[in-house]
Amino acid sequence: MTDLDYKKLGFKCGLEIHQQLETHKLFCNCPSIVHDSNPNIKIKRKLRAVAGETGKVDAAAAYEIKKDLKNVYEACSSSSCLIELDEEPPKEVNKDALDIVLQVALLLNAKPVDEIRVMRKTVVDGSNVSGFQRTMLVATDGFIETSKGKVIVDSICLEEESAKKVEKKDDYVKFRLDRLGVPLIEIATDASIKDPEHCKEVASLLGMILRSTNHVKRGIGTIRQDVNVSIKGHPRVEIKGFQDLKSIPKIILYETKREISEIKSKKKTASHVRKADPDFTTSYLRPMPGAARMYPETDVPPIPLEKELLLKIKLPELITEKVMKLEKRYNLSSQLAQELVHNEDFEKYVKTFKISPELIAKSLIEVPKEISKRFNLTTEKINNSSYEEVFKAVENKTINESAILEILTDVAKGNKIDLKKFKKVSTSGIESEIKTMVQANKKLSPNAIMGMVMAKYRGKVDGKKVMEIIKANL
Amino acid sequence: MFNLKKNIIPNTNIKITTKDSRTFEGLVLPDTTSQKVVLKLSSGYNIGILNKNIQETKSLKNQVSKKNKLPKLKTNKKLPTISILHTGGTIASKVDYETGAVLSQFSPEDIISMFPEIKGLANIDSKLVRNMWSSNMNFNHFNILAKAVEKEVKKGVDGIIVTLGTDALTYASAALSFILEGISIPVIFTASQRSSDRGSSDAFLNLYCAVKFAKEANFAGVAICMHGSSNDDYCNVLPACKTKKLHSSRRNTFQPVNTAPIAKVTTENIEFFPETHHKKRNDSKLKLKLLNPKLKLGILRFHPHFQSSMLEPIKKFDGLIIEGTGLGNGPVECVDEFTKENEKTIKTITALTKKMPVTMTTQCVFGRVNMNVYSYGRKILDSGVWGNHTDMLPETAFVKLAWLLSNYNKKEIKELYHKNLRGEISERTLYND
Repeated sequence: MTDLDYKKLGFKCGLEIHQQLETHKLFCNCPSIVHDSNPNIKIKRKLRAVAGETGKVDAAAAYEIKKDLKNVYEACSSSSCLIELDEEPPKEVNKDALDIVLQVALLLNAKPVDEIRVMRKTVVDGSNVSGFQRTMLVATDGFIETSKGKVIVDSICLEEESAKKVEKKDDYVKFRLDRLGVPLIEIATDASIKDPEHCKEVASLLGMILRSTNHVKRGIGTIRQDVNVSIKGHPRVEIKGFQDLKSIPKIILYETKREISEIKSKKKTASHVRKADPDFTTSYLRPMPGAARMYPETDVPPIPLEKELLLKIKLPELITEKVMKLEKRYNLSSQLAQELVHNEDFEKYVKTFKISPELIAKSLIEVPKEISKRFNLTTEKINNSSYEEVFKAVENKTINESAILEILTDVAKGNKIDLKKFKKVSTSGIESEIKTMVQANKKLSPNAIMGMVMAKYRGKVDGKKVMEIIKANL
Repeated sequence: MFNLKKNIIPNTNIKITTKDSRTFEGLVLPDTTSQKVVLKLSSGYNIGILNKNIQETKSLKNQVSKKNKLPKLKTNKKLPTISILHTGGTIASKVDYETGAVLSQFSPEDIISMFPEIKGLANIDSKLVRNMWSSNMNFNHFNILAKAVEKEVKKGVDGIIVTLGTDALTYASAALSFILEGISIPVIFTASQRSSDRGSSDAFLNLYCAVKFAKEANFAGVAICMHGSSNDDYCNVLPACKTKKLHSSRRNTFQPVNTAPIAKVTTENIEFFPETHHKKRNDSKLKLKLLNPKLKLGILRFHPHFQSSMLEPIKKFDGLIIEGTGLGNGPVECVDEFTKENEKTIKTITALTKKMPVTMTTQCVFGRVNMNVYSYGRKILDSGVWGNHTDMLPETAFVKLAWLLSNYNKKEIKELYHKNLRGEISERTLYND
């Protein structure tokens, strides 16, 4: 990727991240569950372009309205109420969402505004039933430290997620409303990102900070990156729809190359929005929305951010810090520590049971993976009480460490834990038995004999010691 | 100290440096107070900045935006003429995206620029009668509206649209249907539950259907035209005296009570409902029978644990509408040691009926009053309360009684109260689902 001199090209790049929060919806008490159950509500609406006082209809708005489509909205009562249907005014901003966005703002070294004013951002593609998205500027002037210097975070906003488009026909577009109103944090950096790899680093850092709050949604579609790219002589282009972080550098590289060739061909282009395609190229989506699309959401009172309120915000520990702490304190590999960072039980077990933290970590992270890989089983049946029972047995030395995998495999299969089955057998007790086996199978390799012993005593004896005995008697 | 007030002037551009050395550039908005500046940033976001956190301000050059002058409308002699009478409110509001303020627009050119789809329907005349917030209205406002309608009728227009806030709309529509005696053209009230500054507003369909009905339908009298469902597919034309606002926020909030809608209107079609009888366009002369603004009338609801002292201030009134329970009942019998208060209540009611008309309606919303069925009903009837066998909404009964008191003598009032004059009382209660 270093075949372009980005500095020389006048490369400018800014990142916008949208992250869904794990709270109730932003302006109503509906749970923010994104699902695909059968809808019990169906309404049909038409959106109209509303001209501003200046007589201008926003470029993006005019583009959508030309299509003159009907919008069909499907919803389930379990996740949508009259507020999503644009049949009831919004309630006040969800307090948890506000708390989380302020945590993020402070983690990004940003300064909250004195007073938040909720705005209506005109959206005419139908994805907001009301015709606008509610959004608010929460903080400005933040920054993050990266390997290539400081990147300024211009703004941190809190806004509503849009409805999901599920079908498009000649005369209508169908949306589902369960996603509409889920709180979103929008983080926008300035255009100082230096190159495509740097953009990936910034995106990954911002993602880590968001996840550190422990209250963001996880999984496909819950975080979205929009990248703004331009080089000298080419207007700004916004790219949406990145599938994952890994694709960022390649897509930006291809976009930069596309811009270079456009400049060469002397093609005149206006600023616009492009979609990231699976082959890492981009395709035209729509004109760039103008700035003149916002007006106040008069149904929601302004929110003063007084000092006392900000002092009450508890900042979470960053995931990166947590991982380092886990590594150091328990002498774990960084891989294991990273996977453990979201496990709330690990430290509790370490405190409760006098057994090695590494053994606990491996039992929590690696054992379930091995069970599903080796036996093609799901591991949801393995719960806290199975772990507690197993760790206690190890602590009391009634079972061997190696029995953990066997016992939990049994649990995954739906069986009850039967510790007797795995009762520790002292190697000295079976020494004569091993000897007999070795005598009878002298032609076999030690590993093969080991296999025969373990077939009978798997999980009950210490494998290392068994091998020692086999070798000694060969 | 520099003078803050010098640069913080609403509707001018400003650069603010805060004490934590942030800079903000934007337009100072009118909701700025002595404590805080409300700024519209170039990103479109508004924020509040506390004056005590401001370090420095600097005036910026104002960008003068060119406002497009709207072209003057031409009259098409082939099309009928519809007058739109505005009373302020959200149906004619437009956003100023520079300041974010919502402005009301009332000239015919403004209305056509906001609702271009009605241009081909009719010649539109449009004016602001006066700003009247629905909930703040009283009889004076109803009279002003009636006079404005009379003025348009005299001009010879083919139909009149009245736009009003939804909250007291049915009081106003009922009042006008009584005041405008002998109205020979359609007078259609319309409104919106979602303001017209948003793309999803119900105003567009409501106004379109109202104009279509007012210019095409063979109908004379007052009616309401609003969304028939949550969809943007059709409007109902509803009887002025038998419609209630039944939902605080939904688009199809207005529903007919004890009757069917008059008609269903789509952008293509008008379909009259066969059950409802309405007057056709005619040559009769309009006569205004205005309300007396000095009248004092009240609406009072009977409920468990009712205190007779609630009735005391009514003694100075000119009339009272009671919303009884069920068929027109109320707490008027002393049946045990806990219900002695009820005796005082019926005594006070009896005293009131000697001085003024006291009438019964039902708080059930749907159905008819019948005070013969239960002993407490009979007791109320015997005390001199009117309204037995009527099925008027309390809102309509209130307006009707005020109108009768304003225009008729005592004997006539009692007779006319129980008689259907404008479709406010149905002779038969029809089965409606």
